[in-house]
Amino acid sequence: MAFALRELQSVFVAHLVDGERPELIAAVAGDSIPAAARLRVHRHHLFDSLAIALAATFPTVQRVVGEDFFRKFARLFVAANLPVQPVLSEYGANFAAFVELNESVHALPYLADVARLDWALNVAFHTADVSRLEPAELEGLSMGALAAAPLPFVPGTTLLHSAHPLDRIWAASQPAATEGVILDGNGARLLVFRSGEDASFLALGESEGVFAAALIEEKTLEQATESALCADPAFDLPKVFTRLLAAKLFAATQHK
Amino acid sequence: MRSAAGIGLRAPHMAAFERQRPATGFLEIHAENYLVHSPLLAKVEGLRADYAFSIHAVGLSLGSVDGLDESHLARLARLVKRLQPELLSDHVSWSIVGGHYLNDLLPLPYTEEALEVVVRNVGRLQEKLRRQVSVENPACYLRFSHSTMSEPEFLGEVARRSGCGLLLDVNNIHVSAHNLRLDPQAWLAGLPGEAITEYHLAGHAVNDADGEPILIDDHGSRVSAAVWALFADVLQHFGPRPTVVEWDTDIPALSVLLGEAAQADRVLAQREVSDGVRAA
Repeated sequence: MAFALRELQSVFVAHLVDGERPELIAAVAGDSIPAAARLRVHRHHLFDSLAIALAATFPTVQRVVGEDFFRKFARLFVAANLPVQPVLSEYGANFAAFVELNESVHALPYLADVARLDWALNVAFHTADVSRLEPAELEGLSMGALAAAPLPFVPGTTLLHSAHPLDRIWAASQPAATEGVILDGNGARLLVFRSGEDASFLALGESEGVFAAALIEEKTLEQATESALCADPAFDLPKVFTRLLAAKLFAATQHK
Repeated sequence: MRSAAGIGLRAPHMAAFERQRPATGFLEIHAENYLVHSPLLAKVEGLRADYAFSIHAVGLSLGSVDGLDESHLARLARLVKRLQPELLSDHVSWSIVGGHYLNDLLPLPYTEEALEVVVRNVGRLQEKLRRQVSVENPACYLRFSHSTMSEPEFLGEVARRSGCGLLLDVNNIHVSAHNLRLDPQAWLAGLPGEAITEYHLAGHAVNDADGEPILIDDHGSRVSAAVWALFADVLQHFGPRPTVVEWDTDIPALSVLLGEAAQADRVLAQREVSDGVRAA
């Protein structure tokens, strides 16, 4: 049967993802290598190459579950979520939600948050870098002006709030890690951002997390501090501000 | 551009290029790895002053009935503007249908309908980028019974009707010829040599397909002896062109890859010498 090209391409994707389409097999010339075996080359490539792409974006998830399990699990995701465009560093935005939805497959309640951390690191890494706010820029600024100033984080910054000790899970899954992690019921608030030529994160306390969330919502320094003090009257503004400034998390003022 | 051999620049070798600036004919990058900002893009821009560049796209899906994805094309155009590469290419294949990207260079039937689709899409690409692009022969694992043209005929017609160049992947010729039981010499004889702008070389794997060996274009090993021999035949047919050695899986030490490029350079130089002797 001679397919029109549009129909051929639609049947081709259905054959690769949903199972064999006899009409496609009939359209492929077979000989000592049957048509179905020839088509399998493309099915393997589709699933394997996208599983490898996901492993590159979610390296911590892969280290936590192991390579074999990750490949199998990634294939389930691929079958239900083909990419919509060719830039594979942008593929997997909904992988964490898929991990959460399929907890019965991996039985790790924290795995979805690990995927969220990997994705946030990926986003930060693939965001255009900008100049950072230098302490010198703040000199000569009155307290009033500083308090009223919006202080945007560098683009690509994400605040993650997990019920699990995500920073310690991440550290324990690094190749050089020697210690495991005790799931002690403590959660984590991580500010994930582009740092130099890599992506990194800072672990924040509860009121510090409130403070960072307010800055992400483009609140002024004064408003963000008020929110943090509401959460914890002991909130230490100079301490957290110095820490964020030292980590070069604020964009330079000309990028407001 | 000089007919020297270069390599596909891959992330594991980026640091060595930044530090040592090793000599090689030129560098080819995969467009889709540099369409979003990352430290890698900045590094490539840093290398631009010292190397000629080729941008090789893998995701335009020139064989898609629905035409090119304009947002993807716009991103590619921005990269081309930033890097001003000497060479630019993608494949005679398709990878997008119904809004799904399949991350593979899927085969087209070689029909008049498919030819019109590819010519239209290549035309749009060249119009957007305001320059000639080249299209590569894919590695084939199957062919459609309703094809009405041979692959060289199809490639030649794409080049003739769109004005594009041809990127001849020598490993793909070998892989396709084995998998589809074709004669590589007859394949070469059917091609318009004047349209060829660039060559690719790479390694392939041998897999099992229901008990029969099938060659897989995995770019995961050294160029095979058979492909080196075919490369010499290609040069005899068409003469030297800029040549890239690609290596994408099990990426080796940079010295190994540069060694393969040096071997390609020797074959290119031999051809140039014998062409020179003939001309004299």
